[in-house]
Formats: sequence, C-alpha cells, structure tokens
Amino acid sequence: MKSVLSSKLDQFWAFAGGVSIRAKILGIVLALVALLGIGITLQVRAVLSRTMDTQLREQSVSISRDLAARSTDLILINDLYALQQLLLDTQSNNANVRYAFIIDNQNHILAHTFGQGFPPELLSANSVSVTEHHHTLTLDTDEGVVWDTAVPIFGGQAGTARVGLSEANVRRSVDAVTGQLLLTTLAVSVVGISAAAFLTWLLTRPILNLVQAANAIGNGDFTQRVKRWADDEVGALSEAFNNMSSALARAQEERVERDQLRAQYVSGVIGAQEEERKRIARELHDSTSQSLTSLLLGLRTLADGCDPAMQQRVNELRTVAARTLDDVHNLALQLRPSVLDDLGLPAAIQRYVDDCRSRYPLRIDLAVRGLDQQRLPANMETALYRIIQESITNVVRHANAQTASVLIECHNGVVRAVIEDDGCGFDPSAVELRQPHLGLYGIRERAELLGGKVVIESAPGQGTSLFIAIPCRC
Amino acid sequence: MRAFRLILTTLLLALAGCGTPTTAQVVHLSQLHPLPTNALSGVIPLRVAVAAVISPKGTVESYQPLMDYLSAKLSRPVELVQRRTYAEVNDLVEKGYVDVAFVCTSAYIDGYARFGMELLAAPLVKGETVYYSVLIVPADSPAQSMADLRDKVFAFTDPMSTSGRMYPTLLVRELGSTPDQFFARTFFTYNHDDAIRAVAQKLADGAAVDSLVYDYALARDPDLARQTRIIQRSPSLGIPPVVVNPGLRPQLKAELRNALLGISSATPDGQRALLALGVDGFVAIDDGAYASVRALLTQAGAVSP
Repeated sequence: MKSVLSSKLDQFWAFAGGVSIRAKILGIVLALVALLGIGITLQVRAVLSRTMDTQLREQSVSISRDLAARSTDLILINDLYALQQLLLDTQSNNANVRYAFIIDNQNHILAHTFGQGFPPELLSANSVSVTEHHHTLTLDTDEGVVWDTAVPIFGGQAGTARVGLSEANVRRSVDAVTGQLLLTTLAVSVVGISAAAFLTWLLTRPILNLVQAANAIGNGDFTQRVKRWADDEVGALSEAFNNMSSALARAQEERVERDQLRAQYVSGVIGAQEEERKRIARELHDSTSQSLTSLLLGLRTLADGCDPAMQQRVNELRTVAARTLDDVHNLALQLRPSVLDDLGLPAAIQRYVDDCRSRYPLRIDLAVRGLDQQRLPANMETALYRIIQESITNVVRHANAQTASVLIECHNGVVRAVIEDDGCGFDPSAVELRQPHLGLYGIRERAELLGGKVVIESAPGQGTSLFIAIPCRC
Repeated sequence: MRAFRLILTTLLLALAGCGTPTTAQVVHLSQLHPLPTNALSGVIPLRVAVAAVISPKGTVESYQPLMDYLSAKLSRPVELVQRRTYAEVNDLVEKGYVDVAFVCTSAYIDGYARFGMELLAAPLVKGETVYYSVLIVPADSPAQSMADLRDKVFAFTDPMSTSGRMYPTLLVRELGSTPDQFFARTFFTYNHDDAIRAVAQKLADGAAVDSLVYDYALARDPDLARQTRIIQRSPSLGIPPVVVNPGLRPQLKAELRNALLGISSATPDGQRALLALGVDGFVAIDDGAYASVRALLTQAGAVSP
C-alpha cells in the first residue's frame, strides 16, 4: 500500500514537474474553482433540501390542520359534496398536494381526491391517535417520496384528515438550483482561466526573458540585459541577473585586457630575443668573421715565408681557423639568417632546409605556394621561420624519421604550414598533460600571438603531422 | 477509486438522512382500486337528529352526553345526525331516516301541518317549557328597538326558525315594511351561535336569537356578554320539542319517552346529559303549547320557509 502510494506520488511529481508553469497555474485555478464550485453546490443542495423538506413538512401539517378545521362542520352535517369540493379546492390551491382524503371515526373513507378508486395501501399507511396534534411520515410511493400527515378532526370524533405532499416540486427546485450553481461554476471557471492565463503570461514573460539572456551569456554575449517588469521576486531576480551580467562583462574585459598585456609582453620578449640574436649574428659576421678572415690571411702570409715543417703547422692552424670561421658563419645563420630580412621567408626556409639536408641524414621535401608575389609582415615571417625551424629540429632530435615534408601556402587570407614526418610519433595529449614541452609550447605561443591555431596529429608509430594556420591580410 | 466511491456514498447517505420515519411498504398511488362498500354492522343504531340551532360542533358537545345516556338506557348505539337546515331535518323525520329528532318550534309546526309530526317530549328550562326570541345588537350600538335597525345589516338564523326569522320579520311587518325593504342587507347563519358571533364581531348590526341559546352562549363565553346586548324580548314561545315520525313503532316511542322523561340529575349520566344541554329535564307536552307560536306565524304571514 505504501509503495503503491509512493509510486503514485512519483507519478504525480513526474507529471506535475513535466508541465509548464502556465499549465500548473491554470491547473491550480481550475482545480480550486471546480473544488469550490462543487463543494458549494453540494452544500447548498444539502441545505436547500433540508430546508425545503422542513418547509414541506410544515406545509403538510398546516394544510392538514386547516383541512381538518374546515371539514368538521361539513362532516357533522354530512355534507359530503361540500367536503369533496373542499378537498379538491385544497388540492388545486396547493401545487404540492398529491392527495387529500377524510376518513370517519369508523375508518370509512368519506371523501378523497383520487376520483375513481383509491390506492389500497394508503389507508393503513399512516394513522394518528386522538390525543396527538398530528402525525407525519414519509411514504415511499411509485411517484416518489410523499409526506403524509394525519390530523384528528374534532378530537377524533369526526374522523381523520389525511394529506399527502409530493416532494417532486421540491426535488425539481433543488435540481434547478443545482444546475444554476453548476452553470455559474462553469462561467466562473472560464473567467478564472482567462484571468489565470493573463496572470501566467505576466509571470512567465520575465522568466522567458531571463532564459533568453542566460543563453546569450552562455554564447559570450555579455551585453544582454533583462527588463525588470515588476517589483516582485522575479523583478529582484532580473536585477540580480543584470548585476551578474555586468560583473561577468567586467571580468571578461579584464581578462581580455590581461591577455592583451601578456601577448604584448610575450611578443616584446620574442622581439627582444630576435633583436638580440640579430645583433649577435651581425657581431659574429662583422667582427668575429672579419677577425677570423684576417687571421686566415695572416696565416697564409706566414706560411709562405716558413720552412716546410713550420708550414705544415701553419696550414693545420689555417684549417682550424677556416673551420672556426665556418662554424661562426653557421652560428650566425642559425641565430638570424640575414636572408630572412633581405630575401624573405621562402628563400630563408629554402636555405635552412638545404642546410639541414647537408648536415643531417634526413630527406626533406619542401613546397612553398602563394608567397612568391608578396612578403608577409616581418613578425609573421619570423614566427613562421622559427616554427618550421623548431619543428625540423624536433624531427631530427626525437622522431628518428627517414623523411620529412614542409608545406607552406598562403590562400584566402590564411597562411598554412604543414610539417610531417614518418618518425616514431607520440601521444600528443600525454605529452601536453605531462608537462608543457618547451618546443611545442613555443610553437603554440608564437602562432596564438598572431591569432593563429596549431593542431598536432600524432600517435606512437604513426609519424607526426603539425598543422599551423595563421590569418593574414594577403 | 473504490475507497473514493465508498466515501462519496457515505457522504450522500449522511446528507440524505433525516429523522423522519419512513414506511417500508411502497404505496402505489397510480393503482386505484374501487372502495369497499361499508359493511353493515349487526346492530342498527338509534338515529337521533338534532336541528342546527347551534353550530355542528356545539351540537355534538351539547348532545353527546344525552346520546350516551340514551345509548345506555336503550342498550343500543346511538348515532347523532346533523343537517345544515331545519327543513332537511324535517325531511329526515318525515321519511323515517331518523327515529327521533330535536327540532325547532316552527319546524315542528311545519312538520305537524305537513305530515303530522308527533310530539314526544319537551325540555324543561327554569321550570318552564317556553323560550323567547331576543333581539340583540352590538354592545356599543345606539339602537333601542327594531325601528332603529332600518337600513342596517341583519342576520337571520334559519329560514324556518321562529326566534331567528319569524319573530324579527313580524317586528318589521309591524313597522309597515318587509325585511327586504327595511334592512340594507340580510343573511342566514343557519345556527344561533353564529348569529350571536356575527353581531359580536359587528358583521351584522342586529339579530334575533333563541334566548336559551343566547344564555347558554353567554355562560360559556362571558366576552359575548360584553360585546352584545338585548334590546327587545318576544312574548313567551313554545319551547323547541323532541319529535318523532307518527309512524314510529309504539314500543320504541314509549321507550324513548320513558328514557327522556326519566332522565334525572340524581344519576351521574343523567346529570352530565342535562348539564351539557343546559336544561332541567324533560316533560310531556301537547300541541296546545304551540298555539301562540302558530298565531305568531300566521301574523308573520307569507314567510316561506
């Protein structure tokens, strides 16, 4: 029983929770009006029935008493015709009177209103003793309930008057009133539902506005504000919501500002780094290379005037100096290839790739498209150069690959770079989770500073693909 | 759902329940059967008619003790028969539908003339067998005689009554008029009680009533004495007698006469009967006692009963 009850309750909650607030409010109003209407109707019906039954009973007694008083003389002087007329008049003047009859003190019927014949059970259905004022009871008849009153005439010496009042009229009146009340209930229900529908609209309008605004905030639009319709709880909620929106908007602004500051800082650091590399490269090229070249020339001159043994030594030193010059040259190139500034990205990449091919046992395919007509902004060229430089360094250091390919193209305002290898591969999520890999981190940082994106596709044994997309004005 | 239905039923029963007893049997009001004819009982009652000198109820109250007395005396049930008019009672006597009748004086004279109605006895009141017709008016009326009642409303008792109609008609004739011309309006009350009440309630400006009834009414209802007063009294008239049909069995006639004449206040039954009637007893009487009334009726002339 308890589980049945709780399951019913669950069903109810599932149903009540599933319908909209509008349906809930309408349901409450409808249920209230219906309950009230039906309750009042039942109560009025009961009270009315009781009152009218009492009235019918009193009417039954008063008509019987009246009839008894007026029939006394007629019975005593044996005027049966007048007696019959009196009964018929009584019946025709009282709509509720179903029958009336007079019996003498020998229990013989003197006059009655039935016309031809008389219902056999009626005579014995009620009686009154001579000492009683009256005796009333309800009879079950084939025409419904009848209130039968017996009154002794002239102290019982002249007989008994019997009058029967039918409840039919009373029942009809009660039914009519019930019908009226039910109709009124129906009318009030209609008015109530209309009012409730309006009220519900008033109530749910700000809530729907809130839902809309919350969705907008979810999509990043912090400008949405909810109109405060009323000065109630929902109004307070709207205001709180608007305050929250403002706070969120402020927080968003601050975050953007902070991000910008960081980006400026990072790009400043990167710029400073590039400048420093450029200066060191220039220094290496202008000063160290010149010194080494002077040293080489000096050594050659020295070798010309020496004995062969000494000449052998000097030539060895010349070889070392030449190799050092070569290394300085390479170092300057790696720090900042002047070709990047002078000839642009494609030439610098080509040069770098050529350099790698000569130094590492790795086959590298290079394709550059859409950049032969124009040069990209200097910071973007630097960033792309460094990204490709770092990527190839990673391939050489970690991938153990036979082949790598580099593709750069500029198309529809986006510069894309794809660096692929057939190396051992790795799990990108694991690498990024473990600790930020500084090389990959640098690639990502440079791309994002320019508003670009980096996607790494790799799996152990499957090689690695690195996609970089950066928007540009070309 | 079942529980709900149960609650609803209980509620409806509680609402419908009331303290009135109800018969278990269903009465079929639309199934009408012919009424059984009243079976005659083995004993034929003595039927006694009483003319409507006083109201039907008053008659029962006054005469029922005498009926009980006669019933005991004759060892048979007695049925009291009343009719609205004197003429109807005379008719009952003439046709033998009643055995004995208490009639009014003029009704006797009429019955005597018509079919020889026979005197059985007469009540004795204050030692006499006479009564009077008294002319009464409301207590505050300025009228002093019949002459003052011209163009007023007058209440007659019964068309055949000596005291209630014949005597006042005679008075009007003596004034040289007829009741129709003399009075503004007249009506019949058919008994003396109602005539007295009609005057007391000023429904009528005057009426002539049986002095015996008037005295008896005043004794029962002292208010009437304050509301009415007598302005004229007739000469003595022969008292309303007890009569029988001339063809009644002599044995029954003798038994009845003996019963009436033998009634005495010495026995409780007799005392109760006489007290209720307001008479001292019954005496034999002969037709000569009504000669004066006959003369009066002749004087009253063509007053049709």
